[in-house]
Amino acid sequence: MSKGCTGRIIQKHADGRREGDYFSVHVDFVLLPDPTFALLLSELKELGGRIWDKEKVLVTVDHFAPPSTVERANIAKKVISYAADEKLPHCSVYQGICHQLLVEGPWLTPGMLVLGADSHTTTGGALGCLATGMGSTDILYTLMTGRTWLKPPEAVRIDLKGKLLPSIMGKDVILELLGRFGEGGFLYQALEFYDINEAIPMDDRFAICNMVVEGGAKNGLFHPDKITKKYLKERDGHSGHWKNFTEEEPDYAKQLEIDLSSLKPKVALPHSPARAVDVEEAKGEVMNQIFIGSCTGGRLRDLELTARILKKRKIAPGMRLLVTPASQKIYKEAIEKGYVKTIMEAGGVILNPSCGPCGGIDKGILGAEEKCLSTSNRNFQGRMGDHSSKVYLASPLTAAASALTGRITDPREVM
Amino acid sequence: MGLPEFISGRVWKLGDHVNTDVLHPSSYFSLDAGRVEEGIMEGMERMGADLKGKSLKDGLIIVAGENFGCGSSRETSVRGLRHFGVRGVVAASFARIFMRSLVNLGIPTLECKEIQSQVKDGQPIHLKLKDNLIELDGGKCISFSPLDIHVKKILEAGGLIPYLRREKDGI
Repeated sequence: MSKGCTGRIIQKHADGRREGDYFSVHVDFVLLPDPTFALLLSELKELGGRIWDKEKVLVTVDHFAPPSTVERANIAKKVISYAADEKLPHCSVYQGICHQLLVEGPWLTPGMLVLGADSHTTTGGALGCLATGMGSTDILYTLMTGRTWLKPPEAVRIDLKGKLLPSIMGKDVILELLGRFGEGGFLYQALEFYDINEAIPMDDRFAICNMVVEGGAKNGLFHPDKITKKYLKERDGHSGHWKNFTEEEPDYAKQLEIDLSSLKPKVALPHSPARAVDVEEAKGEVMNQIFIGSCTGGRLRDLELTARILKKRKIAPGMRLLVTPASQKIYKEAIEKGYVKTIMEAGGVILNPSCGPCGGIDKGILGAEEKCLSTSNRNFQGRMGDHSSKVYLASPLTAAASALTGRITDPREVM
Repeated sequence: MGLPEFISGRVWKLGDHVNTDVLHPSSYFSLDAGRVEEGIMEGMERMGADLKGKSLKDGLIIVAGENFGCGSSRETSVRGLRHFGVRGVVAASFARIFMRSLVNLGIPTLECKEIQSQVKDGQPIHLKLKDNLIELDGGKCISFSPLDIHVKKILEAGGLIPYLRREKDGI
């Protein structure tokens, strides 16, 4: 079958109905961010307005947070009013980016089947779930029925061997994969990561799973290990009862290997996340703005390493450094640990936790011909602003190093 | 509703890896159908479609390359295409969320690798869904991968929500 852990999760959630290659499966949890949830609200009401299980959905106002136009204010209002009217127990307004809130809360554990109305829902796979994004109509179907139809994808096993060097982050690992296999290189596949030396911190695993969708994958999943257990224990006070979900060795269609210790810092050139090169090849390119944030690169470790680079230094004259913690919780911890102070003293501007510049939504939109190095996930043409602007993707370490010089800079030169 | 046997339209040809941010810029995200359609027109113009040329205005069939519709799940891109009159999409391969969304809104998605090099913008083509064939002007036929049974059922119902209504009624 070669369907990996993903196939097993699908099998365990199947209700017996099958049409063609698709299986009807129960869904454990659904993520509902403001714009894409708003898009299905009128139809949801038309169909009777009842969500199958209110405990199993998280509504977030994070894209338009707080709203920057009257139209967006009305969209956010619709979402907030619906959640209040229906007394949805999990509704988070302006508390952070949906993909961070989903893994911070007590909901996801290994083996779960999770959907979200946003393509980066794949992030949750770092906790050993099958987590994937869908469009609003698919999500509406799930809200009404508690089910969806899935075609089990072919699974690829990716062994991450060796240790991460101090200059390398999860972002570099996923850019390496995207660079090697291309933008559609994993179309419709499940990517299952085995961190052989347990070398990759959870925040970096989130960044890796977040971006598997840029290679076309349906989901990315880290095989649960000690790091998963520790994360869940710190989050929930216990690590749950999930250890048996992969008791037998799963089958894979393909097996790949990445030697972590051989990786160099990577940069994805405009306008594709798969145009990844070693930082040496992009070095020297002058930037107008650096953005450190988003559901890929705004977590605590990202801010910690940013602060480590910026400590007792100043960013280049004329450089705009925008930093967005991915959630209020991260923001508070970053204040307590002094990262926020360090970043501000270096000349960085802290924005409130939200999607912001990443999708060109608000705060930090690029003007004509401007260039930005971003720790986010997509650098498609025009995504962060004017159609003639250019976005480069890199890790928070590379981004912070580049903020100091005003040019794309190898973080090893300033560490 | 039923799946039509025959869909005719004119080709709007696109390349590989066309993403939803380019197809429908996020600044056009809206609950207003008119605004959503403006976004598609902006995207089309950016990709070099000649909107003044009537040839592309009605009965569009998109012919795209690999990984069509990659990127954001925002369904506004697909809703915009539907408002604009796109009747079907043929691509060498589809990004999965985009493909699901097209089918969910009742737009047939056909996989065919050979067609791209054989058509031009504005050229009339006919999708013969029952025969798994695409007929070009002049009678030449190219076959596409047969639709999955589940996908066919959704399309026959006219989209995922009508399919859900059928499911609920036990039809």
